[in-house]
Amino acid sequence: MKRIRLTPLFFRRIHKWVGLILGLQFLLWALSGSVMALLDKDKVGGHGGGMSHAHPLPAGEYFDVAALPRGEPVTGVLLRDLGARPVYELRTTKGIRLVDATTGKDMRVDEGMAREVASMMNEAPIQRVSILAKANLEARDHDGAMWRVDFADAENSSAYVSLDTARFLVMRGDTWRTWDFFWMLHNMDYVNRKSFNHPLIIFVAFGALWLSGTGFYLLFKSFSRADFRWLRRRRKPVVTRSTA
Amino acid sequence: MAIRWPLLVRRTHKWLALVVGVQALLWTLTGFYMVVVHIDTIHGDHLVHAPAARPFDLSGLAPPSKIVAAAPGASEIRLQRFAEAPVWRAETPDGPRLFDARTGAPLPALTESQVREQARRIYTGDGQIVSVRLLTKAPQEMQSRKPPYWQVEFTGWNRPTLYLSPQTGELVSRRHALWRVFDFAWMLHIMDYDERTDVNNPLLRVATWSAFAMALTGAWLLIWSFKRRKKKTA
Repeated sequence: MKRIRLTPLFFRRIHKWVGLILGLQFLLWALSGSVMALLDKDKVGGHGGGMSHAHPLPAGEYFDVAALPRGEPVTGVLLRDLGARPVYELRTTKGIRLVDATTGKDMRVDEGMAREVASMMNEAPIQRVSILAKANLEARDHDGAMWRVDFADAENSSAYVSLDTARFLVMRGDTWRTWDFFWMLHNMDYVNRKSFNHPLIIFVAFGALWLSGTGFYLLFKSFSRADFRWLRRRRKPVVTRSTA
Repeated sequence: MAIRWPLLVRRTHKWLALVVGVQALLWTLTGFYMVVVHIDTIHGDHLVHAPAARPFDLSGLAPPSKIVAAAPGASEIRLQRFAEAPVWRAETPDGPRLFDARTGAPLPALTESQVREQARRIYTGDGQIVSVRLLTKAPQEMQSRKPPYWQVEFTGWNRPTLYLSPQTGELVSRRHALWRVFDFAWMLHIMDYDERTDVNNPLLRVATWSAFAMALTGAWLLIWSFKRRKKKTA
């Protein structure tokens, strides 16, 4: 077997071959990174959402907490204000129940309520309202069924509202959608766009280390004194020069 | 004079690499760290017990109206547990407050020994507590959270640290060595050396597009060099 000699040529070969195999992804990383750096992070929006207007609860009597359960074990009770009417969020072993905190009646998060909640987050006119049995790619950080409220604004914003709790989940617009496409190219999770810890990216990232590592090494081998002559020429002429 | 493209492209590739070479190396190094160590580990999910959902006895509780009256401006009132006892937790403009769920009496802020107990309850490891401090100024690793909070540090190679709310004892956040390395790597990755959060800073924008141009010229050279070899052997 031929002995491997650690010459610049050897490293140049590694650089070339790794470049051939993984170069396209390196290019895509540079491109997607550039685009994400360019897209205004405020327009892209928060990753989690959940930032909703919190109204103070009105003083006065509320429906008796002890009368809320209907036989099922209750693992959580929460009282909050939903657009000027207080509601109980009852977490039971059978799921979440939304109850009018004044009358004690069960509430359904219907289209009207979804519109109302979404309008608190965006003043633009609503274009379309649809119901999702489970999260789509845009609302992937949230579980359960939800309403999607599309607005007629410049960003083509969509608000997502939980079907269980009527809580505002997240707002997505075209800037986020563009960002998300490039984020997918960056994290290489082409199906769910979420994970950046999968075997494919670990493998390619390991290869890219070789690409940048050998490239960095080759920098020292590729430049000669002659490459920097132009720098010296620009400087003021040196009057006295040692000839040693 | 005809442009000698290979020479021009090679020079561009070389000079761009000279400018962004160190950063490209840092991008791949920090990127590699971020993909190798799972994000759930970074977040420190393994450091704390997930709160168990256990049924409440809803009879004999102080009515929510009493809590609303005692915590004006509260936007949310929630039934939860503190050290096994049921409590009402009110989200007020000044932060969360706890009330005894039976009597409705406000609970005072936690004492240091209560904080120690609470931290022990939450923490999954068996290391000892090294230090307990009430912070009124956010340390670097907690820039994203508003103080005050208790900082409870445990022994261990990864220096696990829990941050607890002084009013409710609930976990504000957790940090450990792998998180701190990740945060440093993220800073190098997005080139925001002050706040570590601005992904739109001009330095990053210039560096990323330069790297893109470097990669693009590299790709051109690659195709050219393999084509040339084919011609030679033909």
